[in-house]
Amino acid sequence: MLAFILRRIFQSIIVLLVVGLVAFSMFTFVGDPIDNMLGQERTQADIERLRQQLGLDQPFVVQYWNFLQNAAQGNFGISYRQGRPVAEILMERAPATLELAAVSAFFAMTLGIGLGVFTAIRRDGIESNLIMGVSLIGVSLPTFLIGILLIYVFSVELDWLPSFGRGEVVDLGGWTTGFLTTSGLKALILPAITLGLYQMTLIMRLVRSEMLEVLRQDYIRFARARGLRERAVNFRHALKNTLVPVITVTGLQLGAIIAFAIITETVFQWPGVGLLFINAIQFVDIPVMAAYLMLISVMFVGINLIVDLLYFAIDPRLRVGKGKGH
Amino acid sequence: MRPLKITLALLALSLSAQAEEFRWAGQTDPQTMDPHAVSSAPVLGFLNNVYEGLVRRDAEMKIEPALATSWEPIGDGEGWRFVLREGVTFHDGAAFDADDVIFSYERASSEQSDVASWFAPVSRVEKVDAYTVDIFTTAPNPIFPDSIANWMMVDSGWAAANDTTRPDKDQGNYATLNANGTGAFRVTDRQPGLQTVLEPFDGWWGEAEHNITKATFTPIQNPATAVAALISGDVDFINPVPIQDAERLDGRDGVKVIKGIEARVIMLGFGHDHETLNFGADEGAPNPFADVRVRRAVAHAINVPAILQTIMRGNAEPASQLVSPAMRGYSDAHAERPEYDVERARALLDEAGYGDGFSFGLKCTNDRYLNDESVCQAIVSMLAQVGIEAVLESMPVRNYWPELREDAFDAFLLGWSPGTFDAEHPIRFLVATPEGNLGTWNFGGYSNARIDELLPAIQSEIDDAERQAMLDEAAAIIQDEMAYVPLYVQPLVWGARETIELVQRPDDFFILRWVRVN
Repeated sequence: MLAFILRRIFQSIIVLLVVGLVAFSMFTFVGDPIDNMLGQERTQADIERLRQQLGLDQPFVVQYWNFLQNAAQGNFGISYRQGRPVAEILMERAPATLELAAVSAFFAMTLGIGLGVFTAIRRDGIESNLIMGVSLIGVSLPTFLIGILLIYVFSVELDWLPSFGRGEVVDLGGWTTGFLTTSGLKALILPAITLGLYQMTLIMRLVRSEMLEVLRQDYIRFARARGLRERAVNFRHALKNTLVPVITVTGLQLGAIIAFAIITETVFQWPGVGLLFINAIQFVDIPVMAAYLMLISVMFVGINLIVDLLYFAIDPRLRVGKGKGH
Repeated sequence: MRPLKITLALLALSLSAQAEEFRWAGQTDPQTMDPHAVSSAPVLGFLNNVYEGLVRRDAEMKIEPALATSWEPIGDGEGWRFVLREGVTFHDGAAFDADDVIFSYERASSEQSDVASWFAPVSRVEKVDAYTVDIFTTAPNPIFPDSIANWMMVDSGWAAANDTTRPDKDQGNYATLNANGTGAFRVTDRQPGLQTVLEPFDGWWGEAEHNITKATFTPIQNPATAVAALISGDVDFINPVPIQDAERLDGRDGVKVIKGIEARVIMLGFGHDHETLNFGADEGAPNPFADVRVRRAVAHAINVPAILQTIMRGNAEPASQLVSPAMRGYSDAHAERPEYDVERARALLDEAGYGDGFSFGLKCTNDRYLNDESVCQAIVSMLAQVGIEAVLESMPVRNYWPELREDAFDAFLLGWSPGTFDAEHPIRFLVATPEGNLGTWNFGGYSNARIDELLPAIQSEIDDAERQAMLDEAAAIIQDEMAYVPLYVQPLVWGARETIELVQRPDDFFILRWVRVN
């Protein structure tokens, strides 16, 4: 177990380093930050001086090495645009994204599993077919379109929910939360649906097909034959056995939710790290882009690690069958 | 009867004095609260509500007294004497006087400042008494008061106490997040990129025309979201409105669209000093744009009225020179722009030996100016009609300037908004032969000895008529030589709730003290 974890951590670090290298090799193509930092009256000499000062005249490998050295000391640099430490800016923005992701994930999981089980048990009912049909929309429509559509219906036409932003937030010592105010909660609804819809339909379809598979198994038939109640059969026996793939996918999707939040955050002007990243690209704010990409890859790698560990916890076969080449 | 009247009057009074919260959205957040750290329109425009200069611009862009009550030239054009307003206080209560002007000069002209170039003509600044300041210039400078409308005054004591005596755009300092001006509004909450809250300053020296008690600014990047926020009433004002949404938005109840023209002229530039073409099928062939007849042919081949009618939906105005008619020094004598005339264009090309046309590379932005990419596509098809093939490459502005600096173009699209609102500005930046501080945006390397001679003379001419004569001459040369093909003046489209009264200034600055919420 320990060897496994150590090996995974070592692999993760390699992945992170490669991601960073690729990211830095791309930054030159994003554009030149200098023009955004100097005004109309800049001269060629100003441009050269600033370029040198920022180290942009160095090859990207050198820039990357400098970044790593500083990052190892917990220093992610100063944002070109805001003139403030990147770590500080990310900390400010993280709560917004994490709260949104948490609500979306919760929405996607509960509704996804619930509807998945429902459509599996009543596979031929009208409701099930309707849900399956509607769920196609969730899979096929792009996120920003869903967002704009929701804004149009619920903010512009019905005027029930705010069209942008986080509403009023409460500062709990460095963590701003929208959970404690009415406007904050209202502001969460549309972005959370937009962000979670795809994941919800994905989980729903996955649970449904796994359920259908499991329900055909012999032990379910025997459970029925033993006269167990339908609910016990469906939820205790069938659902539990569908969960392994569901956890894998959900775990990976949690990472996707945070990463995909970029689009949702842009549509709803949600002040999270995704919006920050989009801004950073626009202004070629390399320190912010670098820190964000590293943060996201740390997160993805971390989630993968946790998912692997959860396998151990849920599926006893993995523990027993270790080394037997299953 | 009388008590009723009084009650009504009181009622009306209490109603008008009601808390009027105003919320507005723009596309970019002002990246700093430091008035000397970044010379960009979003920053200077926003801070004009918080800080003030010696002079300011009125609704028509004319200079009017602000922290100086009057000014006059010193002697024979050695400089300018400013008489300061007495009884002005900063938001923190400190008094404003000549020492703050001297300090603000030192701060704004320092090496760390982004606005230092405004003070390039200044030799020294002297305090005469507590409320009089002399600013000496190296040469007579008639437009100096015009050029410092955005030079904002910072309190010397406040700056010293908070260790921000110099701006710091790289690392940031206290003034990056905090502001202490003399303006009609003070910053009460600043969250970069999220929101900025302004409240009226009780101690402001001026008479408040607005009725706002609190103003909240939120950047909204996505134009569709901003429009939705305006319609649903989540914000009272947005800038800009996407030009394609303007008509639809105007038709909706409760909102209105405010249109005008900006100071920005959109033009086509050429690689004058290129030996050969860099792009297209004729890559490596001698540069046809070195021939003025070819440049004129291009000007005649572009159907500007059609571009304005279709792509700009009738919101923009054609441009005849590098500045719009609203700018000081605009040449009325050269208000004619080259007509759309395909035959003439063909004839000119024939004459220049390009009767069979040629192929070249056109560089264009796709996120800098209103509908820039569509405009370039239209130009491509218009040029095709006279046999010229333009190979279009459009890119985000963050990639654009580096390309232009490296001469990676044959012709390019450029927009120019003169920071001084004077016709001298584009001559200095776009037309003068590139060297040092001159011609820094003259990517094509256009060079004309007479222009280079006229520029310093224009800069130091005190007499308005003489100055205009020289500006007219420069305009004539630029037009005649077709150094650039001026296309149109970019439109300005704002959106507001029906209940909002405001003033739209051509520099796209949103001035809060002119806003009334009804």
